[in-house]
Amino acid sequence: MGHAIEYNAREAWSGGQSPFRVSYGKMMMWFFLISDALTFGGLLVSYGFIRHKYADVWPKAENVFTHFPFIEQHIPLAYVGLMTFILIMSSVTMVLAVEAGHRMDKKGVIIWMFWTIVGGLTFVGSQAWEWYHFIVGTEEGALRNVWNDELGKYVPQIVHGANMVVNEYGLPQFANYFFFITGFHGFHVFSGVVINLIIFINVIKGTYEKRGHYEMVEKVGLYWHFVDLVWVFVFTFFYLL
Amino acid sequence: MEFNDNYPKYEVMSNHDEEYGKKARRKLWNVFWLMLFVTIAELVVGFIAPSKGWTGTFGLKFFFISFTLIKAGAIVWWFMHLEHEVKFFKYVILLPYSVFMLYAIFIILTEGTYAGGSGRFAPLDPIFKKQQAELKLRHGHGASHGSHNNAGHEGETGHH
Repeated sequence: MGHAIEYNAREAWSGGQSPFRVSYGKMMMWFFLISDALTFGGLLVSYGFIRHKYADVWPKAENVFTHFPFIEQHIPLAYVGLMTFILIMSSVTMVLAVEAGHRMDKKGVIIWMFWTIVGGLTFVGSQAWEWYHFIVGTEEGALRNVWNDELGKYVPQIVHGANMVVNEYGLPQFANYFFFITGFHGFHVFSGVVINLIIFINVIKGTYEKRGHYEMVEKVGLYWHFVDLVWVFVFTFFYLL
Repeated sequence: MEFNDNYPKYEVMSNHDEEYGKKARRKLWNVFWLMLFVTIAELVVGFIAPSKGWTGTFGLKFFFISFTLIKAGAIVWWFMHLEHEVKFFKYVILLPYSVFMLYAIFIILTEGTYAGGSGRFAPLDPIFKKQQAELKLRHGHGASHGSHNNAGHEGETGHH
């Protein structure tokens, strides 16, 4: 028994059955993901716009994200490459969990979902670590005009790291977009881990074994792959280009 | 017409036996190797690009964006199982989104110059501007060599 199901499109549209051959829940998950993808698409398009506007002074990511845990030397892009690998790997384990669910293999689903959750938590932790280094900045810092409330004017001052107002590495807009887009994505990863955890507990309890199918695993899997999909674009437009 | 709600159940549509599962798993691991290869290729190119002088070239942008689209396509098609959905559902998922995003990119590229007129954006910090100008003089192009050197200590105050 494979995936080939007899399907007559003309007949399916005449009513009484689902012409898309998907359940309500799965279809709504797809529609939600499209609307979410529009949000991310809008954010990235606006990022591209600002970046082109300031193309000649935009910071290069390889000069900003040079740290790697436990290593003193500066290795540009290495850590974010590792983060990307971890997220892709957790996407692979998720799809293997879905496949195990299609065989009603409860043990397989538990093992693969466990590794998915581990990968997701590792990614969120890595992102927190990267934010920390971006916010703290370098020891030498850089000279910038900073608004002084007491004097009521801009005063030259050495700044370290980046926040929503000043950015040691270049334009404040770079930091604004970095915090907003990776933060929004990181929040998606975090909620994905929470949802995965809930489904993981249900799998262990045998809820889906009793139900006769593991569709819920496939639904949360869709969400999890979407999170990976967004990261693929964030990775390209923030770090590589 | 009487509504009988007899569309196939999930377990009938999607579940499969061990033999099919073996084939499916082999395919998924092949997709994984493809993704790994693409990611490593991107990182290697990103790593050597500055020394080769490729930074900012059209070829580099084309390479990164096309490899990104390959990865994105692999995720949607194989990981999210869009290949197993019926044809019309594929269109419902892919078409409206692609059309809208292509339009958004097109309109920002063509009409974006309009919004970039003077006075519509906050002016650059003069100290930062000066640092960038000095970097440009020293290296021939700005921003690419990091900007955390303390050039321009005598920078003027206030920028409004």
